Amino acid sequence: MSTRKTINRFATIGGLCTAVALAATGCGAGGPTTSGSAASTVNVLVEAGGHAELTGVAEQCKKDAGIDVNFVELPYDGMFNRLSSEFSSGNVSFDVAALDSVWLPSFKDAVQPIDELFTDEAKKDIFPALVKEANVDGHFIGMPAWTNAEIILYRKDLFEDAANKSGFKAKYGYDLAAPTTWKQYTDISEFFTKDGMYGTDVKGGVETEWLAHVLQAGSPMILDENNNVVIDNDAHREALDFYTSLTKYAPPGAAQVDWAAAQNLFNQGKTAMTRFWAHAYRQIPKDAPVAGKVGAAPMIGGSAGVAGVPGPWYLSVPKATKNTDNAKKFVKCAYDYNSMGIESSLGLASRISAFEKYQDKAGYESFGPLIETLNGKATATRPATEKWQQIVDTVLVPLLQKAVAGGDSAALLADAKKQIQALLK
Amino acid sequence: MSLADPRLHGPAATETTMPTTTVPSPPSTKAPGGTGARRRRHHAEGLEAGKRSTRTLLWILLAAAMIFYGFPFLYLLFTSFKTPIDTIAVPPTILPKEWTLENYTNALGRSGVLASFINSAQTAIISTVLSLVLAVPAAYGITRYKTPSGRVFIMAALVTRMVPPVAIGIPLASMMSAAGLADTPIALSIAHTTISLPLSIWLMSSFFEAVPKDLEEAATVDGCSRLGALWRVVIPVVSGGIAVTAIFAFLASWNEFLFALLMTAVRSQTTPVVIANFQTQFGLDWGSMTALAAVYSIPVILLTLLLQRKIVAGMTLGAVKG
Repeated sequence: MSTRKTINRFATIGGLCTAVALAATGCGAGGPTTSGSAASTVNVLVEAGGHAELTGVAEQCKKDAGIDVNFVELPYDGMFNRLSSEFSSGNVSFDVAALDSVWLPSFKDAVQPIDELFTDEAKKDIFPALVKEANVDGHFIGMPAWTNAEIILYRKDLFEDAANKSGFKAKYGYDLAAPTTWKQYTDISEFFTKDGMYGTDVKGGVETEWLAHVLQAGSPMILDENNNVVIDNDAHREALDFYTSLTKYAPPGAAQVDWAAAQNLFNQGKTAMTRFWAHAYRQIPKDAPVAGKVGAAPMIGGSAGVAGVPGPWYLSVPKATKNTDNAKKFVKCAYDYNSMGIESSLGLASRISAFEKYQDKAGYESFGPLIETLNGKATATRPATEKWQQIVDTVLVPLLQKAVAGGDSAALLADAKKQIQALLK
Repeated sequence: MSLADPRLHGPAATETTMPTTTVPSPPSTKAPGGTGARRRRHHAEGLEAGKRSTRTLLWILLAAAMIFYGFPFLYLLFTSFKTPIDTIAVPPTILPKEWTLENYTNALGRSGVLASFINSAQTAIISTVLSLVLAVPAAYGITRYKTPSGRVFIMAALVTRMVPPVAIGIPLASMMSAAGLADTPIALSIAHTTISLPLSIWLMSSFFEAVPKDLEEAATVDGCSRLGALWRVVIPVVSGGIAVTAIFAFLASWNEFLFALLMTAVRSQTTPVVIANFQTQFGLDWGSMTALAAVYSIPVILLTLLLQRKIVAGMTLGAVKG
């Protein structure tokens, strides 16, 4: 065979391969729309767990404003990287992004102000802490899409059991009921720690609960209003001491317990109480041993009153989108039809009126305690610093893990202060 | 040399067909049945017993390795048949208490799953083809011409394997976007080729090294051009190696997560990202996640089984090098 023939054969095969490749790239199988190019289409980047929250809104938005919505779902752990990558490149594949509240300060320069959507009426219908958090450097940059807070979930069946009631009263001198003080919480935890069961859990793998105790004790969490590090003040130490004191009523290995582990333990009937995000009340599996046996109560207050750390997500419009008008229309739809999120599998909203509409319905018993917690006078969002996630991952969680394993609170907090100061320099 | 090596066992080697009397005996100067013969027989029996115990030990090690590597997949498979509460049981159980297909219907019924499978296949095929089209001539050139620049090139290819993917992922995503390829399978395929190409060049180089130059020279004497000799003689000889390289390139793309996370959105999202989406801030849907992961494993398991002979042949081809 001549060289020419061979070359021809290679060229033919190469050409075919190229043709197949090019044909294949016409569009992916996910959909025919190019991101952000079609005027009536809005691409919404959302964490996978939040997708369901916005599905109903998207359908309604299509009816009302004629806007088609494509959702780009990403896992939580990868979303920050993706956002950072696209924002820094100036080319975005989405027109609206659902942002975790802790990311707002990091991306404040990459998203547009949406002040016009924050009317007086809207501000009255959104929890005060969220209105404050959405405002970064004098502009509203995110509309709360849904929010959450930790409340108390407890085993109603155990609390209503006659033997438990009499036994508890005999031992502690007052009636067994959902706790309203931390003293009661401790007593109840002690009472139920028996026969392979535990009164509560202690989560060494997450920081929010300890921070709620800090707020309840009357201190801003970690940073004061002037960005001074206050992690070593009395409130933080007392909160930490109380937090670690519960380990004797909690399953072993507290240092490794995170949200998933705590939720599993409660759903399996291993703990009598848990401080947990309100959405978990509606997510107890039907075949769980505790299904239908759980009660909900507001987060308990300290000297400063009831306090929780809200966990909202905000809808923001990137500056780089070419589809700003429709993106803002979608954000408005999401606000107008906010209550539709409650019908989703996650079952959350951000407007006070949306929660109030459902709070008396069967199956939504957690909403009353959630509203009370979110309206708590000491409830506050996390400090608005770009370094927050780094502070959590590298300082706060390791601090808690050492503390629940028996570390000295004062020394750990002093050390944490130095680390945070170094991070903020 | 692996236990599956055909040169050791032969194509149909079994326990009973294994050679058992392979110890060569020197010519005897003594009468049969004498002390020397008895000693030799004892010696042979000792060797035989030693071989048996070595084989047994190897089989035990093999079984242990299989369990070690296979258990996570088996656990994943069993979890995919568990009820939701069973998947989060404390302490965990290996076998489902109650078998259910609910996780499969949930996972496969989720919107975008089918599209993500098509995207994964499309991306992996394009990436594999790109890798082979570039790696085969590159490796051939390096091994046959043995120039200093070729050695630098192959070392440079190895160095690119050392660069963390995240370091090139973000700029690559920007470049693809600027080139108008954002959110397309071809962009992701090109990104995946950056992972598989260096490995492919190295693998193919070792396979080409194992082919004697004489074969090509004979083909040239018979009238083949250099390219003709490559196409008609060398490539058929290294077809096992090409199959191995192809499967590695395919797997590298099929399982890749980071680039897919950074570079895909609505149109070209691949299944690894969809699988990861079952872990949300609000919890982890173990059942659906493991069900989709199990389904996603099927094509590569089938591919491996289908190409098993070629893979083994390819591996041994590389092993005789030098």
